[in-house]
Amino acid sequence: MLIETLEALFLVLAALTVVYMTRHFIFTLTALKSPGTRSEADDEKSSYRPTVSVLIPACDEGHVIGRVLRRMTELTYPKEKLQVIVIDDASRDDTGKTGDQFSKRYPFIEVVHRTWKEGRKGKAAALNAVLQYVKGEIVFCFDADYYPQRSILEKLVRHFTNPSVGAVQGRVIVLNEPKNLVTRLVSLERIGGYRVDQQARDSLGLIPQFGGTVGGVRRCLLEHLGGWDGSILAEDTDLTFRIYLAGYRIRYDNDAECYEEAVENWRAYWRQRYRWSRGHMQCAFKHAPKVLTSRHLTLKQKIDGLLLLNIYFMPVLTLLSWIVCIPLFFLGPSQGFVILWAAVSVSVYSFVGNFAPFFEVGVGAYLDGRKRAHWLVSLLIFTFIYNIPICTKAFVDLLISKALRTREVVWHKTTHFGDGNSYIMN
Amino acid sequence: MLDLTSLMMVFGALFFILIMLLPALFELKKPKDAGPRRIMEEIVAGPPRIEITSIEKDVEINQDLLRKVSAVISVLPNLEA
Repeated sequence: MLIETLEALFLVLAALTVVYMTRHFIFTLTALKSPGTRSEADDEKSSYRPTVSVLIPACDEGHVIGRVLRRMTELTYPKEKLQVIVIDDASRDDTGKTGDQFSKRYPFIEVVHRTWKEGRKGKAAALNAVLQYVKGEIVFCFDADYYPQRSILEKLVRHFTNPSVGAVQGRVIVLNEPKNLVTRLVSLERIGGYRVDQQARDSLGLIPQFGGTVGGVRRCLLEHLGGWDGSILAEDTDLTFRIYLAGYRIRYDNDAECYEEAVENWRAYWRQRYRWSRGHMQCAFKHAPKVLTSRHLTLKQKIDGLLLLNIYFMPVLTLLSWIVCIPLFFLGPSQGFVILWAAVSVSVYSFVGNFAPFFEVGVGAYLDGRKRAHWLVSLLIFTFIYNIPICTKAFVDLLISKALRTREVVWHKTTHFGDGNSYIMN
Repeated sequence: MLDLTSLMMVFGALFFILIMLLPALFELKKPKDAGPRRIMEEIVAGPPRIEITSIEKDVEINQDLLRKVSAVISVLPNLEA
């Protein structure tokens, strides 16, 4: 009886991994077949120029805030239609002072200073605090360590000529990639996640994710939805699903590129991925039932939405499947079990990562014309193994907080050092 | 005591892991594609560029000849004077 129960459990886990593996194979083939080039229709819409507000939340970003603000002054978007709001979130360094210097010189740049009592409560709280100052029809967010293309706003706003589009997401490229092994591996994850995964979800009419940065939302929609949810650590994922559940869609634009500064050590990687995992799991609990019953989503969007919401549970289930294997090994499994174990072992490589399985990374690097970046793909096994305790801890902490009904969300921000400045190519 | 089959499996697994990691080790040791990837920038469309031939480029002036000619001219009487 015990053997049968364990084998049944293992069968369910194996089936889930095969489902994710199939999903990512489909995405990879789609990305190869449809590289996402611009169409003539896109060119016609490229003259659309609504008023735009760019929000830059910044907490202790003194090393990088000057760079992004300088870049805002270099954007080709008409300055009379552009508003940039720097949210100095109770910074202890020169972030606010640097913002004020730019604000004095450039009238389209404003700075909102949050006090120690108001601030440091997370990105969502900071963004919500300045919504009252936003004047643009489209609200964009850029993190302080980002460095966008000069023409990025033109590329992103053109999608809003379609009234069904509620938000748009651009592509993120790691600026400090050469720094060390961590940054190179994170860059690979980004390549797979954006160049293949996001692109395929857009091409297939599924649910591309609004990443909370390098992305824009209609202001009227944002106000209708009540802004960002400050209780969710992954406010971007939460907004993604609220947009779709409200009947809108999100477009991903692979041509709209922006540099970011990746985490530079394994401790920072843990903190960042922990935040993403726990936030994603919060979204799964919040939105999964609504996704199932929504009348605005097609069947394939519901399936993809559920798979996207639950992706951070899969490392936890991987650990569970390994734990299940141990007693089965000693108790003596049935003949079919060996095949299932092999299937899981192979497919588990295929789905784990920051939604960037290994073959997505390889294909993404190929599509980018990279020469040897994909030679590091085998090292992603370490991030795969590292993600298992990260996601497991996030899950356990979430369950405990739900059991104790605690709502406090501790936001561990990623520290940026401005080390990517030397790689900026003008 | 490990038997031959187990030993072969262990070494085989180690060899497989080494083969898998070898390209990564090469790239880390001598990076040839460390990035970052260059962001695409729009090519600003402007008036068509017309290639203007550079006469200075086409005519290669022999400096020695020029000096000799100058020297000859300088000793000629100034007919205007």
